[in-house]
Amino acid sequence: MSQIKKKTSSFKTILQKQARVIPIVEILLLILLIVIPFFVGDYLTVIITRMLILGLLAISFELCWGYSGIMTFGQGLFFGIGGYAVALFANKADFVQLWGVIPIGLIFGMCASFLVAWLLLLGKRPPELIFIALGTLTFSYAAERLVAGWYWVGGGNGMSIFEYLRIGSFEVEPGRLFYYIVATILLLVYLASRFLVRSQFGLVLAGTRQNEKRLAFLGYKVQKFKALVFCFAGAIAGLGGGLYAHHEGFIGPGNVGIGISTMAVLYALFGGAGSLIGPIIGVLAIESISFTLSDIDAVRGYWPIILGVILLVVVTFKQDGLLGFVVTQRERIGTFGILKSTDHKSSENSQHLKNEKNDSTS
Amino acid sequence: MTKIDKPRVNDASRRSFLKGTSALAAAGWIGALTGGFVLKPDWAHAAGSIKMGIATDITGGIAPSGNANWQTAQFAAKQINDAGGILGRPIELILEDTASDPGIAVGNVRRLVERHKVDVILGGITSSMREAIKNPIVKRGKTLYIYPQLYEGQECTPHLYCTGPTPYQQCAELIPYLIKQGNKRFAMPSANYRWPQLLNVWTKRIIEEHGGEVVLEEYFPIDQVEYSATVGKIKSEKVDHVFLTIIPPGLGAFTKQLYETGFHSNGGTLSCVYYDENSVNYVAPRELEGVYSCLDYFHTVDDDFSNKALAGYNEMWPGSNYKLTAGTAATGMYRGIKLYEAGVNATNGDLDREAVSAAIDGVTNVQGMGGKFSMVPGTGHAAMNMYVAQANGGKWDIIKSANQVQPNECA
Amino acid sequence: MDDFIKITFDILSFSCIMVLVVSGLAIIASLMGIFNFAHGEFVLLGAYTVFVFRETGLPVWSGMLAAPFLVGAFGLLLEITIIKRFYKAAIAAMLATYAIGLIIRETIRGLIGGKFWAIEAPIEGVFEIGDSSFSIWRGIIIIFTIVIMSGCYLFLTKTNYGLKIRGAMENPALARACGISTNKLYAFTFAFGAALAGLAGALVVPLYSLFAELGLRFLVQGFLAVMLGGAGTFEGPVLGSAMIGAMVPGFQWLRVEIPFISYLLSPVFAEVFVFITAIIIVKFRPHGLIQKGRI
Repeated sequence: MSQIKKKTSSFKTILQKQARVIPIVEILLLILLIVIPFFVGDYLTVIITRMLILGLLAISFELCWGYSGIMTFGQGLFFGIGGYAVALFANKADFVQLWGVIPIGLIFGMCASFLVAWLLLLGKRPPELIFIALGTLTFSYAAERLVAGWYWVGGGNGMSIFEYLRIGSFEVEPGRLFYYIVATILLLVYLASRFLVRSQFGLVLAGTRQNEKRLAFLGYKVQKFKALVFCFAGAIAGLGGGLYAHHEGFIGPGNVGIGISTMAVLYALFGGAGSLIGPIIGVLAIESISFTLSDIDAVRGYWPIILGVILLVVVTFKQDGLLGFVVTQRERIGTFGILKSTDHKSSENSQHLKNEKNDSTS
Repeated sequence: MTKIDKPRVNDASRRSFLKGTSALAAAGWIGALTGGFVLKPDWAHAAGSIKMGIATDITGGIAPSGNANWQTAQFAAKQINDAGGILGRPIELILEDTASDPGIAVGNVRRLVERHKVDVILGGITSSMREAIKNPIVKRGKTLYIYPQLYEGQECTPHLYCTGPTPYQQCAELIPYLIKQGNKRFAMPSANYRWPQLLNVWTKRIIEEHGGEVVLEEYFPIDQVEYSATVGKIKSEKVDHVFLTIIPPGLGAFTKQLYETGFHSNGGTLSCVYYDENSVNYVAPRELEGVYSCLDYFHTVDDDFSNKALAGYNEMWPGSNYKLTAGTAATGMYRGIKLYEAGVNATNGDLDREAVSAAIDGVTNVQGMGGKFSMVPGTGHAAMNMYVAQANGGKWDIIKSANQVQPNECA
Repeated sequence: MDDFIKITFDILSFSCIMVLVVSGLAIIASLMGIFNFAHGEFVLLGAYTVFVFRETGLPVWSGMLAAPFLVGAFGLLLEITIIKRFYKAAIAAMLATYAIGLIIRETIRGLIGGKFWAIEAPIEGVFEIGDSSFSIWRGIIIIFTIVIMSGCYLFLTKTNYGLKIRGAMENPALARACGISTNKLYAFTFAFGAALAGLAGALVVPLYSLFAELGLRFLVQGFLAVMLGGAGTFEGPVLGSAMIGAMVPGFQWLRVEIPFISYLLSPVFAEVFVFITAIIIVKFRPHGLIQKGRI
């Protein structure tokens, strides 16, 4: 266990002493990830692959909110743009190679998020939280209306992708191989994000989340950091969208708008914001419940209501989400909860104080 | 993984469940009815039943048509089962709600293919729905797909059969008739998706060939509700005839706003090639008066088979708002089930997709609503009777009829 | 000339619809600082009330009369049980109200069978001015909006209770120090905002039919209107919604009348253009067009 800590963290001393439960959870899930396709049939493997792809979306949201304090209701936008870009390449240019799909998703996601960041985050005055939230919501909604009315990208119908994803001339059908490809990508993204948030850069993010003004006084260009992490998250979401489009064989306005953006929020909150593994747990939990419930005819129609109730309960009573049952506040890389308007949780995380001590050199 | 359930004999508990859900559905609560719904026949056969997946819109903007499709499917299946099934095997229907939303439909259809492992899927109403679900069904799902609705043509995917009319079948008679009536200036307000885009190309050409002129052609998002600018322009451009391809949910708002400009009372006429007896579910009756349509069946078509079938349908679903009509794809659904029956009869019970598909391709002279129909080999489309009609007080007067019109697709 | 009257009427009628729908949202946002994501669903509830009344055989206008009271009561209930926990946390409030909205929307979707229901206005038909015809019901909505907004304005400025509300808007702590119970004020205001939304939904449903997504249509435009106009005053959101209300049909008319623009803007681009314009304006004036403290 400590082996893994050394490999991925630059602040070995601090974290080794405190992180206990999260690595256990991570390793358990990793083992599950590797062996599950051997235990379940093809049909379920396909379902789980889809969940993993949505996990990318959840991580993307988590990087913005849980780590940097950017409440974005628009991750669906980048997810959808990645998907649409991939679909366009597939249908109009007959290009479905895996080695191309990954960069396409990343690049389009990043460009779109850069645009949004430029409009919303950067500028003379640091924007208010509400402005960012509503702004991302608006962009997501506007994008949904745009693609719903634009015939070239399929309009309200969306676009079907008729060709399977390919590696060379080998067709990758949704199934075990696709599952392992997605699992590998998810693992790489997870490790990259983990490295990012436990690095110096991640410390700055933690600072913005705790007390933005103080960090600005320390000389950090806070908005630029926020924009950077926003773009990184956007790229991940775009990648997820591209994979999703190929896996489902379809991308439509519903994958670009408010619906999926809020699902991203829900996944992260339910699983436990403030850690990277939380959103993944959230996706697995919610999608599994959704899947099993939809097979019971009587309940199928009520599932969205149940989902709403779950969200309400989580937001009201258990902001820590599922992960909060096993992981303490101290252990997470950062904490957040209901932000009190004036005071911040300065005592909760002793790590915070230690970080400041180390910070004095930078 | 659980495989195919064996059909149970005399499944009374399931039937009372069905009755219960129909009561619920009638009361307006569809919670129990949305989504997968399996209708097992009440007798069994050693080889098991033939599983038909029905993927149609039970909820959403297109729900009135989808429900008509589903009821027709149940009627047709019951008719066949009561007569002994197909080669002794009963039909089992499995419903998935496509919810008028291609995004949701894709997931639900996949369940039909991968979980229920059906032998054939019938459904999809709007072209957008068909485009979304045909890939999971035909390519990824390797399942036979029969599409029952009128559409814009050019669907030549193998193992995908269309039992609804094509643009040629609908417009070749209608447009010249309209022009002869004295309509010169046409407007084409349309929904912005595949069907209107391609149909309008077709229609515009025929209009111009016969000396008419299209002065307005606009494409709107499907849920657009503000049409004031457009109906204003229709009035100021002195349009004689509106060839409408807007679909629900925007349809009701458009027809209402057009009516309010006084278009109808000033002598303007309207045609819409999916209007039928079911359209009162979408449009107010006063906005339907005098409208033209051209379809493969109307209730006023008077032939023995159609009359008997319609009577049987009305007996099974008394007082239902959803009628067996052509514009809803219900007649196409009926035709599709009869087509599959004929195909399986021809293969002598072999349900393998390749075999049934090859058999269906050559099926001729099967009875459907509105007359007999025959598949045109190698094209995946059917020749059928077509009727031009005009709405008159809730009924449709047949103005012209044409026998066994060729589909002219995928030649 | 005729065209001009028609354009003005269209813009005016849609602006009024927007003002009606947004005013409830604005009041809640101004006073309590939370953006109520369930606002669209209050509108939907108002429309649904009319539907239920009609289904039980009562006339449509009675449903319209009852809607604000019923929805207001529902809003009060929500406030007392759930919303009041979130006044200090704007983001959590957004999520909680989104969840509530989701629950309401899906419940209604189940109750109406997932379908679209057309509802006739109490007074159908058109009136003619010159060559153009105008929908009577839209005209009535315009009149109603003016009456209601004037009523609200008078209430806020001329009554004691209105004075208390304005005081709490400016400085809640000081208001509390003066002995004004902000809890009761907030409860009342939330209920009032909900009632306004319900009334808006009831009045507007004959134009748009009843369907589950009716609320969502107005939600984003509503938020934009509030951001544009500036939360914290009365005139701000009214101005904001009037602007958004003018831009939506306005761009459509521009598109139809000026061919050059119609090359650039299809109907859907016109709609998106409204959003982009609004966001750009808000970027340059982050606190809205009318700043706080000018009431």
